[in-house]
Amino acid sequence: MSNLQIPVETQTLANGLRVVISPDHSAPIATVGVYYQIGFRLEPRGRSGFAHLFEHMMFQGSEHAGKMEHIRLVNSSGGVLNGTTNYDITNYFEVVPSNALERILWLEADRMRALKVDDDNLRNQRDVVKEEVRVNVLNQPYGGFPWLDLPPVAFRNWPNAHNFYGDFVDLDAATLEDVRTFFHTYYAPNNAVLLMVGDVEPKESFELARKYFESIPPHPAVPSANTSEPPQTEERRGVVEEKFGQLPALAIGYKMPERHHRDWYASALLDRVLHGGRAGRIHRSLVLEKQIAIAAEGGMGFPDVFEYNGPTLGTTTIYHKPEYSPGATVAAFDEVIADVRDKLLDSDELEQIKVKCRADYFSMLEAGGNGVPRFGLMHALACFTLFDHDPRLVNTVLDNFLSVTPEEIQATARKYLVPANRSIVLRLPAAPPRKQDSQVEAQPEAKQGTKQEGKEAKQGVKQGAKQGVKE
Amino acid sequence: MTTASPQTAISATAPAVGPERPVAWPHRTVRTLANGMQVVLAEQHTFPKIGIELFFRSGNALVSRQSPDLAELTARLVRTGTNSRTSRQIEEDLRRMGANLGTMAGADSSAIAISGLSEFADKLLAMVDDLARNAAFPADEFERERRQRLEELRIDRTTPGFLASERFRRVLFGEHPYAVVAPTEAQVEAYQRDALVAFYRENYVPSNALLIVVGDFSTARMMELVEKTFGAWKAGSAPSLAETELPRPRGRAVHLVHLPGTVQTEIMLGNLAITRQSPDWRRAVLANAIYGGAFNSRLVANIREQKGYTYSPRSSLHGLRHRGYFVVHAAVRNDVVAATLTEMFYELDRLRSLPVSEGELADARNYLSGVFSLGIATQDGLLGQLSTVYLDRLSEDYLETFREKIRALQAGDVLEAARRYFDSANAQIVIVGDRAQVEQQAILFGDVKVWDTHGHAIA
Repeated sequence: MSNLQIPVETQTLANGLRVVISPDHSAPIATVGVYYQIGFRLEPRGRSGFAHLFEHMMFQGSEHAGKMEHIRLVNSSGGVLNGTTNYDITNYFEVVPSNALERILWLEADRMRALKVDDDNLRNQRDVVKEEVRVNVLNQPYGGFPWLDLPPVAFRNWPNAHNFYGDFVDLDAATLEDVRTFFHTYYAPNNAVLLMVGDVEPKESFELARKYFESIPPHPAVPSANTSEPPQTEERRGVVEEKFGQLPALAIGYKMPERHHRDWYASALLDRVLHGGRAGRIHRSLVLEKQIAIAAEGGMGFPDVFEYNGPTLGTTTIYHKPEYSPGATVAAFDEVIADVRDKLLDSDELEQIKVKCRADYFSMLEAGGNGVPRFGLMHALACFTLFDHDPRLVNTVLDNFLSVTPEEIQATARKYLVPANRSIVLRLPAAPPRKQDSQVEAQPEAKQGTKQEGKEAKQGVKQGAKQGVKE
Repeated sequence: MTTASPQTAISATAPAVGPERPVAWPHRTVRTLANGMQVVLAEQHTFPKIGIELFFRSGNALVSRQSPDLAELTARLVRTGTNSRTSRQIEEDLRRMGANLGTMAGADSSAIAISGLSEFADKLLAMVDDLARNAAFPADEFERERRQRLEELRIDRTTPGFLASERFRRVLFGEHPYAVVAPTEAQVEAYQRDALVAFYRENYVPSNALLIVVGDFSTARMMELVEKTFGAWKAGSAPSLAETELPRPRGRAVHLVHLPGTVQTEIMLGNLAITRQSPDWRRAVLANAIYGGAFNSRLVANIREQKGYTYSPRSSLHGLRHRGYFVVHAAVRNDVVAATLTEMFYELDRLRSLPVSEGELADARNYLSGVFSLGIATQDGLLGQLSTVYLDRLSEDYLETFREKIRALQAGDVLEAARRYFDSANAQIVIVGDRAQVEQQAILFGDVKVWDTHGHAIA
């Protein structure tokens, strides 16, 4: 058992804003975040990319802190700031010397209360976002692969299936009225949680939260998305052209169990059997032993699973040598899958995986992927508050993963890792094959596959970057 | 547009920050073992983890003339087998200690970095020792890594950011060992396993080593363990970098790397500057923060927030061990390449011409002072700060005094640093994009040389 005792104190203000504080005085630094329960999935139809564009607008000025002033006030306090748009949440956070706490609360409250932006700001950030999409997606080899490529193939319901970074025509169509409506609908205190982590005193900090946030009016009824997916009955396939790179790549995504279903815990451990670095079976088999692939990695493991509150995919991404066809590559992948379905995991392998999960959980709480002090702790507290109404899960959730048995892992593999539950996207280079590869048998099959599979591809998205889009 | 919400008695101006709380950098224990290995230990008990990083002060620059990237490939092979462990055993042993391992090389050093649960401290240290002394360089793993490196390079040479920095280093450093950041495919094809083994034997030696351990342990016991693990290791001394003359360009020049089909252009410009050992380093850092080193900086305000040319403009100072350089970087839409360069130079010249206001100066000082202290809060952050101090052989009180030294700087320091180290008139410009779209804009800024993505000049 993990025996975690991270202090967690909570209050809910009269307007519905939840406040979560986790004090830790080991360094004079405070990590502060406001998380709104709005993400890609909820953006309006015909406005793909809007949730992220809107996130940019939140840095454009509020009633008492004009354009650049928000940024200046944080930086000149000795801190850094950013925002991220995800599937089901959008966050705004600051990491500052703890003597700047009150200033940060004032700023976050000012923009929750009264965003103040104009057409110039919108035009400006639309341009900035387009360059963001170019630098991360359109102008990079394998840009957007697979996080933008897989959803249109795997999902049928628009909230789950559209281009999250936004089609440029949709970004161009966005108006100030859209900004206003979106703000009033979703950026309400009762749709948010305020987090203060690190060198903060709970009593004083709750008082400050009340002082700055409690008078902001709630929204009477924040809409929620219907993210349900019709049942999938057969494997789905798509193909996307790779404009720059010369290596063929493919991504395989299986629909994952619902949050906090017992299968959900087992599937996260199963993900670690398959992925989880070089000891993971897929990397070991495809990259190290058979040497079909140059890289093979997973995209949805423990503890990333916490930030999703709707249909998600457990993904494997493989960049394979041109002399192997996509078909041969998938066949090698399927051998690994067959093995976890057919054979019970031995206890040594499972024990290794559990130790690694425990270590990774600590690393996540300490910093998280972006190295920001306690970002991961704040992020987990926010997700457990917004999705599960229980931030104290941060101390107990790990045990649910560590108690998974080999039998549960096998049962989960048999239930979920089946062709009818998966989608495959090929990312195939547009450039002609390199000279040394043209003699190899694999090319014809690759091309044939392209045509066949092209039929089911809903839309050709060509793009790249990690999941979740930074400001 | 102001969204209408009832206003209450909240102040219309931002609250002042409270009194600064002291930043106490953790105590370090520094010792040099009899075999020359330098050891730095710093306890941090927030999570039951430790981070260990063993550096050797030899990197890719040491061999960049004959075989660029040899240090990197050597480092990659280090984790693929030792005399007593196969690749698979290494990876599984790591997992059973909850550990992550990185083995890599930069221009000036090679490193074995491991982090894991503190309950396995002894075994983690033993793993580092095994990798540092007993790597076996299996022939089949060597061939596998060679092929992977080739495929990576092929992708790199279609990546605008990589192509820009590769060309930029060439342009700034000429024939100097720092000029080369990546090999050609032919050079990778020509690698011999023996050359990796030789690099490892010569450079992975204790007299060339710095070991930093940060995290949840007791210093006395960890020092004992380090002595026991590494104390008996004897080996010769490593070669040092032979520097050569650097280019001294007069006037601006443009180097265009032609990447067909791009929908955005990558821009880098800059000049040689200084290393961290320079007494001017902090002045230059402050000037950089005001120019483009922070979100709240002139460059970001201008070409992002005012003009919308780019998402991520930044400037930075890079302190390699023997030389440093200054670089301004942005990826912009194709039709504003000339406009962006104009603004980049305008902001450089403005900072070189006029003293900054007291307000802007104070903001930048506060920014650097605060952000510097964020490193204290995580093991990785602390390890990073310590490795800067001890790899670059900075003064023992570098961390403790950085903030007060930054706070003492004045507008005159910024002006002087900008004039010395932001060499606008002789800046070298690299752009990566589609020639047809950007060449006519580029010629406004100097003679244009055009290169292909493999580093060959094209007419």
